Amino acid sequence: MNIRNQLICAWSAVGFASICLAGFLFANFIPPISPNLSAEEVAAIYSENVLSMRFGILLIMSSAGFICSFAAALAVQMKRIEGDLAPFTYAQLGAGCISTLVFVFAGVFWTGAAFRPDHDPELTRMLNDLGWITLLMTFAPFIIQNIALGLCILSDKQANPVFARWVGYYNLWVAVLFVPGGLLTFFKTGPFAWDGLFVWWVPFAVFFTWYLVMFYILLGAIKRQAQSEPTVAA
Amino acid sequence: MSSTYEVTDSAKPHLPGESGVWMFIIGDVLIFSLLFSVFVYDRSQEVALFIEQQQLLNQTFGLVNTLLLLTSSWLVALAVHGARTGHLSQARGCFVLAILGGIGFVVIKYFEWSEKLTADLTIETNNFFMYYYLMTGIHLMHMFIGIGVLVFLWQCVRDAEFNTQGMGVLESGACFWPLVDIVWIALFALLYLMR
Repeated sequence: MNIRNQLICAWSAVGFASICLAGFLFANFIPPISPNLSAEEVAAIYSENVLSMRFGILLIMSSAGFICSFAAALAVQMKRIEGDLAPFTYAQLGAGCISTLVFVFAGVFWTGAAFRPDHDPELTRMLNDLGWITLLMTFAPFIIQNIALGLCILSDKQANPVFARWVGYYNLWVAVLFVPGGLLTFFKTGPFAWDGLFVWWVPFAVFFTWYLVMFYILLGAIKRQAQSEPTVAA
Repeated sequence: MSSTYEVTDSAKPHLPGESGVWMFIIGDVLIFSLLFSVFVYDRSQEVALFIEQQQLLNQTFGLVNTLLLLTSSWLVALAVHGARTGHLSQARGCFVLAILGGIGFVVIKYFEWSEKLTADLTIETNNFFMYYYLMTGIHLMHMFIGIGVLVFLWQCVRDAEFNTQGMGVLESGACFWPLVDIVWIALFALLYLMR
């Protein structure tokens, strides 16, 4: 039973990544709406595609809950490393669950912009700004999730470690890549604006790749547990 | 990937630290290369401005910091060598000096930034100073992490029971500091020297 429950939670990574990415495509958010546009230009984008954007944003918000169940699946395997006193496990789980809110609140602001396409363009742009800022400047929970997971994996002293050690270093590296998001507050153009290379393209690619990589790694860990502890699998 | 660590004999080629740590280092170098490429591209769009603004940087601060980091990296290498050959007091001393070198770098960076900020040169002044603050800032973040790692390694060799079993951890950690050093040298060349 336990293995099956773990697998259900692990598969939520695929649910999250596919639904969320589909949402970004429907909302026409790839590439992002430039922070350098005038209020009228932003309002025009929203009023031209309003139905598709509403639907895309709805998908992004719907996908967010899966982040929690995937963090839970990771936590179960992390607890096999840490045992009962498991601070990294709880830090990962807590930070992972909080990061759900990033997608929920970004969606709330974008929906606010798309909800009344006829309102003052300044308001549309402000809500659009808030959506992107919420999505990309909120690196804090994501890096704690990655660092907690990375340090936990590296602290594994068992003869047959739950995860391969490179996965630990991979997570530390991913954490570093999310930090530049904080710089978007200074820029409207260039590589550190919210549509730039280091705030959007690199973190976006790394984030979704992380879900697929960790999904694959997690399936391996669950499979090894099922083989080595048949009682859990029963 | 084996979880136990063996000190290989010196005749065989030996990758210091465990292979996973190199994944982190290569990943980080990749991102810095990307950042440097973007810098060089943007610079090519405004060469005159970049060269003119470059004159406002203090090459002496940059050079002193380069020497500090090079010395500090050399000390870390000596510390690792000391630990491997059983000279733990040498290892401890070298780690302390290397950490002081790192702190010295941060202090000089503080004076350098204050000098620029009092002259009203901020991250928003122009593209050159945007890159100046970003690149030195991201590097500074690496400095803080690196100093933290060195303090951790220093604690490892302060343990009286330290033996060659601990060399894996020591080497893995010690690999990070030269990375910070090499990135700084590239950054120094691009920001302070390139004409």
